[in-house]
Amino acid sequence: MTTKYVGQRVTRNEDPRLLTGQALFVDDVDLPGMLHAAFLRSDYAHARFKSIDATAARNRPGVVAVYTTEDMGAFWKPGPLLVPAPHSIKDVIFNQRTQIPMARAGDKVRHVGEPMAVVIAESRYIAEDALVDAVVDLEKALEPGAPLIHDELGTNLASYVRQEKGNYVQARAQADVVIQRRIVVDRGVAAALENRGYVVQWNAKEQELTMWATTQAPIALRNLLSATLGISENQMRVIAPFVGGGFGPKIMACQPEEVLLGWATMKLNRPIKYIEDRRDNFLATTMERSQIHDVEAVLTRDGRILGLKDVFIHDTGAYNPYALTVPLNTQTHTMGPYEIPNFHTEFKVVFTNRMIVTPVRGAGRPQGVFVMERVMDLAAKELGLDPVEIRRKNMIPADAFPHEQGIIGQDFIPLVYDSGNYPATLEKAKAMIGYDTFVKEEQPRLRAEGKHVGIGVACFTEGTAVGPYEGARVTVESSGKVSLVTGVGTQGQGHFTSFAQIVADQLGVDVRDVRVVTGDTAQFHWGTGTFASRGITVAGNAVNAAAASVRTKILKHASKALGAPEEELEIVNGQVRVADIPEKSISLSELAARANPMRGSVEPGTEPGLESTQYFGPKYGATAAGTVAMIVEVDPETMMVEIKRYVIAHDCGTVINPLIVDGQVHGGVSMGIGQSFYEKLIYDENGQLLNASFADYLLPRSTDMPHVEIGHLCTPSTLNPMGSKGVGEAGAIPTPACFVQAVENALADYKLEILETPLSPNRLFEFLHGT
Amino acid sequence: MTKQFPITVTVNGVRYEKTVEPRMLLVDFIRHELGLTGTHVGCEHGVCGTCTVLLDGEPVRSCLMFAVQANGHEVRTVEGLGTIDKLHPLQEAFREAHALQCGFCTPGFLMTLVPFLEENRTPSEEEIREALAGNLCRCTGYQHIVEAVKLASQKMGVKP
Amino acid sequence: MKLEGEYLFNGPREEVWKLVRDPDVLATALPGTQSLNKISDTEFEGVMHLKIGPMAGDFSGRLVVSDEVPPESCTLTVDGKGAVGFGKGVGHVQLIAQADGKTLAKYTGDLTVGGKLASTGQRMIDTVSKSMVRQGLEALDKALQARVAAQAEDRPVEYKPPTETEFAGAVAKDVAGGVLSSPEARMALYVIPGITVLVILVLILSRCR
Repeated sequence: MTTKYVGQRVTRNEDPRLLTGQALFVDDVDLPGMLHAAFLRSDYAHARFKSIDATAARNRPGVVAVYTTEDMGAFWKPGPLLVPAPHSIKDVIFNQRTQIPMARAGDKVRHVGEPMAVVIAESRYIAEDALVDAVVDLEKALEPGAPLIHDELGTNLASYVRQEKGNYVQARAQADVVIQRRIVVDRGVAAALENRGYVVQWNAKEQELTMWATTQAPIALRNLLSATLGISENQMRVIAPFVGGGFGPKIMACQPEEVLLGWATMKLNRPIKYIEDRRDNFLATTMERSQIHDVEAVLTRDGRILGLKDVFIHDTGAYNPYALTVPLNTQTHTMGPYEIPNFHTEFKVVFTNRMIVTPVRGAGRPQGVFVMERVMDLAAKELGLDPVEIRRKNMIPADAFPHEQGIIGQDFIPLVYDSGNYPATLEKAKAMIGYDTFVKEEQPRLRAEGKHVGIGVACFTEGTAVGPYEGARVTVESSGKVSLVTGVGTQGQGHFTSFAQIVADQLGVDVRDVRVVTGDTAQFHWGTGTFASRGITVAGNAVNAAAASVRTKILKHASKALGAPEEELEIVNGQVRVADIPEKSISLSELAARANPMRGSVEPGTEPGLESTQYFGPKYGATAAGTVAMIVEVDPETMMVEIKRYVIAHDCGTVINPLIVDGQVHGGVSMGIGQSFYEKLIYDENGQLLNASFADYLLPRSTDMPHVEIGHLCTPSTLNPMGSKGVGEAGAIPTPACFVQAVENALADYKLEILETPLSPNRLFEFLHGT
Repeated sequence: MTKQFPITVTVNGVRYEKTVEPRMLLVDFIRHELGLTGTHVGCEHGVCGTCTVLLDGEPVRSCLMFAVQANGHEVRTVEGLGTIDKLHPLQEAFREAHALQCGFCTPGFLMTLVPFLEENRTPSEEEIREALAGNLCRCTGYQHIVEAVKLASQKMGVKP
Repeated sequence: MKLEGEYLFNGPREEVWKLVRDPDVLATALPGTQSLNKISDTEFEGVMHLKIGPMAGDFSGRLVVSDEVPPESCTLTVDGKGAVGFGKGVGHVQLIAQADGKTLAKYTGDLTVGGKLASTGQRMIDTVSKSMVRQGLEALDKALQARVAAQAEDRPVEYKPPTETEFAGAVAKDVAGGVLSSPEARMALYVIPGITVLVILVLILSRCR
């Protein structure tokens, strides 16, 4: 089988529609009789919700209905737990508090933005309430006497997890050097350009509910929401059309808006549309990162790490429906590409009066990498070693795979690295950035000119392509064109092209003749969703398996039709032919028609058509890895940082479409740079988010981004037939760690120690002036 | 009942006569009154540039304008740039350079670039990045967009 | 947000008190006041309708006076709510009689804001609140001077309070150059005056015994 498309820079099938405004996004859906929803959201982070009076709103012309929890009656209940707690880890404490559809009068509101009522048509209004002290400080939240988010729990502790590899205490006793620091990572948002949006339509005569949603998990949404609404899964269809960016938060299911809209459309028997505005997105769409780490590393004098102890607090916001995915990722990614023989890691998860924390590109990995890379730099300084050298010294060697890391991760099984060559990524990045020349020649020369230039090098691993599974169905149609359907959704990853490439190679058709459908539960209803950089590997391998299975059927039928043995057949340009005798051929179109006869009889046991549905579930997640290097120049007067060069040496195994992979890396880098220097959510002590707009929460612009140079390496994964690994989150994970290292290096004469991210010009100013 | 105003707007060469509330945003008018959903809404406060359309040839944030302000004017949206079968060279360049991923911000970028390339057929990388600084993209990191603009300027050639 | 400053009233303390004992005077002195009701000696309720530029709306508030040490100082607690958010403030006011018959008012306050105002109006709050406080005090001072002059000449008070538009125009000038990029930021322009004007109201009301 020839690979004409896989591995090639194929331009995307979906682009002409997206470029000409002919692609459907949720807000483009327009149905006759459609109403509009608006949510009354709490202005208070933590307050008793005394009562709500909807009379004035109900009387306003144009308002069809206003619903509060009173109207919901017995239907009101906390939502489903989306990710279970990791019961494979011993002695886990997990206090489940899932998201509620609406705050209840008589109870409390627990974060700014929590819905209190839904209006169908226009008007908003305010409920009366009294202010109670808000909990925003992670450590204060755990102190006795702190205001409680969930009174009945008696504590703000949402969860406690401890894992141990080896024996840290013993390692500490043998070490020459102990490094102890507190490291802080703070909050940011995903800020996809398209806000969340839904159109729901209940058709009473057909007893069916259709929902267009900006979701990364259409199948999970359908299953969970249909159960919540008391209808059968088969009565509900979720369609994720083109979605304007996901980045994590859109993986959520049974969010208040989804539950309330589903319930309301059934009650009113009218279609309803809700499109979030940008402020709602900042307040009521999930977000990520706050953690406080107290880390201790013990090393030998020559820079070998003997052990690591990391105790951290993780902020989950007001509820924890996504359980422990993010902090578990932090635990597993702290070790990174290094051999850490003894590792003690524990975390406490805290409820606070802020919006819920669930994965955002990186999903807990950036925090772990930030901690480890800062430790490396601190150790290098302490021991007088070169930062690149100390990393190389501690890396897992290329012949040590599969490598067991002994800590349980987000898929509840012990972490194993399938394949990788970490020293090679380090060497490549070092060469690409010209590390030695910079450090020995350029930097001293520029410094002599008074410039503050610095270099940073950071290494990371990236757990990708976790299970459980995905599926795909490939069908050759009587036109000779091929249809591919899979359950994952698409938010810009290019599935309409990359999956088509896989099918096109297997079936010998033009990549433009493969029509891909993603994210429609009526067409495919088994699967979990797009998250954790798993689309191309997990869904892609299911696609590959389905296409391979159809190829087998094609050859079997063609062999009979052409009277030639299967081994002698090849498929080229939609024709199955005997190699060397191209005239002896039959078209796929003809075969497809023959495989689905309109009349006549078939052999008992025959399956119709040239179609196959296959599933793929990996044994565990494939580990991608890389090294990032950057050169920055800092202006100590304006505190502006210019990234002069950005280099990433990345290994994601087999690459299906390099054009798409490059794009994913660029995008991840831009989010990483945002989270290094431009983006930070600012809360006041009352839990009010002070920068809930793009005017005050800064996303990197074209003038802020460096030119990203990518170097590819390939250690194929041993966990799937295609050998691929994920890449979606790569750029976001190591960037803050590298940025901080480079800035510290640029300001070496100020002898800074920066143990936090994100930074900003203001913060740098504070560092420089010792405030 | 809020007062309604009659307006006449020419969009992509087609004349529309509609009656609208004074507070209806131009972007909502284009999307929902006229059904031209290629222009998207990203922030509704004029920062992200996703809603950019051309008003009498100049790029404007249609989320910061009212439909009544467009009365008697000409608007050009992404639907007026090219079709699936006949892409504008700029659209072709975007496709070749993989300058779009989710595609949500893309129409805004295209409409910002159309007048830019009219004025400057041979822009430098720095000029391109400056020109794009008013449009946010969360997916691409801008690099491929910059390459697409360079490619487009080659395709479109020097102004006659 | 911390609020503090000083203002010199062109009149004696007693007149400053008398002026504001009368809620009707206050209501006309401060543009946009739709109602100002005395619930008790120490509690007041008010509704302001403010118009700044194209933005207009209602903002309802409650004031409580406490820790009174007449005629020197008192503490004021303000609680205001509107569609764009809420504000809660605590202020301390000191009135010092000056040798030339004027009154020096010193004030400090701590204002907490929430809702849309807090999340999208941050860059407006500082400038706008200072502008509103200054203008409010100026308006009251003018009312005070008119009353004092009328009393001296034994004739009716001639005082023309600033219109909502003039008030708003002056704020806009102070904020000159600030781009109002969101409806919420524009809303901040009338909610902040609402809060600060109510602070001013009670600042002087507290002297009414």
